[in-house]
Amino acid sequence: MSIKKKKIALVVGAGSVKCAAALGLWKVLEKENIHLDMIVGCSGGSLYATAMAMGFSLQECIDKTKKLWNRSITQQRNWRALASILLPGVFKFNNHFSMMSDVPMLRSFKSVFGDKTFADTKTPLYIMATDFETGESIAQCEGPLVDALRASVAIPYIWSAWPHSGRLLIDGAASNPLPVDVPIREGVDIILAMGFQSPLPSRIKSVSRYAFYINSLMTNNLLNANFAFHNAVHHAEIISIVPEFDRPIRLFDTHQIPYVIEQGEKAMLEQLPYIKRLLES
Amino acid sequence: MNNRLSIVIGSGGVLCAAALGLSKVLRREGLTPGLAVGCSGGSIYAATIALGMDPDEAQRLTLNLFTGDVFEGYSSNLKSALSGETRFTETSSLIDDSVMYERLKSVFAERTFEDTIFPLHIVATDFYTGERVVISSGKILDAIRASIAIPLIFSPWKIGDQMLVDGAVCDPLPIDVAIQQGSDVIAAVGFEMPTRKRMNSYTAMTTHFNSIYMNNILKSTFAFYNAVHHAEIIPILPSFEKPVGTFDTQQIPYIIEQGEKAAEEHIPYIKQLLLATK
Repeated sequence: MSIKKKKIALVVGAGSVKCAAALGLWKVLEKENIHLDMIVGCSGGSLYATAMAMGFSLQECIDKTKKLWNRSITQQRNWRALASILLPGVFKFNNHFSMMSDVPMLRSFKSVFGDKTFADTKTPLYIMATDFETGESIAQCEGPLVDALRASVAIPYIWSAWPHSGRLLIDGAASNPLPVDVPIREGVDIILAMGFQSPLPSRIKSVSRYAFYINSLMTNNLLNANFAFHNAVHHAEIISIVPEFDRPIRLFDTHQIPYVIEQGEKAMLEQLPYIKRLLES
Repeated sequence: MNNRLSIVIGSGGVLCAAALGLSKVLRREGLTPGLAVGCSGGSIYAATIALGMDPDEAQRLTLNLFTGDVFEGYSSNLKSALSGETRFTETSSLIDDSVMYERLKSVFAERTFEDTIFPLHIVATDFYTGERVVISSGKILDAIRASIAIPLIFSPWKIGDQMLVDGAVCDPLPIDVAIQQGSDVIAAVGFEMPTRKRMNSYTAMTTHFNSIYMNNILKSTFAFYNAVHHAEIIPILPSFEKPVGTFDTQQIPYIIEQGEKAAEEHIPYIKQLLLATK
């Protein structure tokens, strides 16, 4: 009888550019020849999770994810947004409200993932979103990757909710910023959980910044509460890998990516002896 | 005074009046709580209960707290803030709080936490860190004002060096405070914030997003404390057949009735627990 191999999953939580730290973690896994059985991503984390699940090389991941997430995706403001706030009757304020147009973002997602679907990934992948109406957490694992990613990064107010398989979906962080429950449910033994505190805008200069600021506070509180619960009541080994940053990393600080990856690698190296022990035991 | 039985009243706008229903039932049954904890709208009722106010008196006093004139100027303020006509910073708000503040003052005047008949704790959120802040001393009016500082609507409130906002941003149903105070039996009156199907304005959307977050934080914190602590937590969740808006004060008598019904269901069990832990 063969010994059952331990299943290992990586969860990359919400955190925009900070999520690039997952690539540093991955570098360590590659060097140690540790294979993941599942990857789960939420919001910004879903971009890196998907690149890894596709089986791109580390350098490819770095290059491609830079294309996915940078300032150019915020180039196009949605001119109707302000009009619809000021004159909701005339300019039809509705569930699809957003400050930004998603055209540049969809273009960049398409350029990297094309029409690939979840069936094309080398490692089973889950991408988190939130049901816009009910607030429930949704683990997406079917259909085109671009759709799932677009839903997962639909940050409230900034990008509009995304209709997908009969539901309207928004940012996974609104319900489940560090979705360790997905691999728990799938019966994984070891969960590498890379989570981040949402950066708080340094200054509040407008109503929308204020709303965004409060959302970030609540995302962090939700992260803490969720993680505390799953960590307390489940039997899977959950290993938190929390990269430390000595400088603020904001939503589109892509120039910090090399530093972020380095910190991710460091954080992973700290946990490596323990992870190896778990895998061998 | 013992604190074996605690009352925790979560955020929920006007729905929090349901706690008066619980208070009525407890009085009728001769059960005296030893502690009250309140968050956001719940802080108002936690305070009236801890001050020993008669539930009918509390109903009368809170009936007119949030009438339409409290929210005057909202739309025009939103428009001028969004168009850039007025600056909007962390101390700004879409509603001038003076009417609301005067209303609260007419109920709580200069009373402090020392005037309560059993300990009272009010939960707010540190505006800069998002962390939980438990207020247990000073003027009750200040604590409530901080706890109900609904983001965007009312400005944060400074107590000491701390800038505070709505307790629901961190801990919508603060049973953890009662646990920390050593309660054995916790009657927790909690509410999910209403969500919407259709957003027809920016306000509707911010309210909806806040509700989604607050509901998810409520579920996660409740799941956690329920799972890991040994106190008996009894969720008292009134049900409402008709939709009740967050500030629908006219519905208060109906809300209290529903709270009373929900509380009655749990009385035999609460009594059994209190006897068992004596």
